Amino acid sequence: MSIAPEVYKKIVTAKVYIDDNFRESLDLDKLSREACLSRYHFHRLFTRIYKVTPHQYLTQKRIGQARRFLAGTNLTITEICNHVGFESIGSFSLLFKKEIGAAPTSYRDEAWRREEQAIRQPRSFIPNCFFENCGLDTPAAGEPAEKSNSQ
Amino acid sequence: MITKLSHITFFVLDQDKAYDFYVNTLGFTVNTDAKMPNGFRWLTVCPPQQPDLEIALLPPLAGGMSYDEETRNAFKVLLEKGALGAGVFDTPDCRATYAELKDKGVTFKSEPKEQFYGTEAVMADGQGNWFSMTQRKEG
Repeated sequence: MSIAPEVYKKIVTAKVYIDDNFRESLDLDKLSREACLSRYHFHRLFTRIYKVTPHQYLTQKRIGQARRFLAGTNLTITEICNHVGFESIGSFSLLFKKEIGAAPTSYRDEAWRREEQAIRQPRSFIPNCFFENCGLDTPAAGEPAEKSNSQ
Repeated sequence: MITKLSHITFFVLDQDKAYDFYVNTLGFTVNTDAKMPNGFRWLTVCPPQQPDLEIALLPPLAGGMSYDEETRNAFKVLLEKGALGAGVFDTPDCRATYAELKDKGVTFKSEPKEQFYGTEAVMADGQGNWFSMTQRKEG
């Protein structure tokens, strides 16, 4: 059975509300009010459209932002936990590890290591064909000229 | 034996604007964003549920020593015309994603239409490429 355009609009409005407000404390009551639908209908329709429950989607948004903060800032794990809307370090760490497969600290260490490696040894992870086609064969000052050991 | 695609290039006019479109508007994740000492920026993004496919967003003029001027200009002309069709993105619901992206200012070449394989809209990335956005028919 197809969903009426005005109902789509309501669900999309609530999804965008999560995108814009995932740092806040959000629950099914609040989200269904945003969508002007009953809790039951909102949950059912959201899950049907996005193939994840509203709560799963909210968690994905928070984890995604946490990944960006971990890789791109010096914020502490506690600060990141608070910035992305988790209420406790325990639940943040648990969910992060479940979704990403690594603890937040390990994820950050790896992200920073990769970023540093990208600058110091770009050949270690950029496929060689890109070097050839992007004219990167001439090493810049300070860059080792070793051959790629991957790809 | 080839098993899967790991890297692909989308040529773009401007890497900053491409970053904004793919990451902030579409919600792709950044795999690597690193600037080399010679100024070359290696920027790769992944579709949200496909972390092992790196899409390199590269301007044809970056580095570019192996492209002669005629080739670089040809790329630029094609990108400025929005003539490069880069592929198909899957979506769980074409009409919902269309409504959301339309609200965010994304340009569509066609609105959602029923096709024999599912529901499809065609969008542009504002950087010279167009894509099909398809909700595959279930079953």
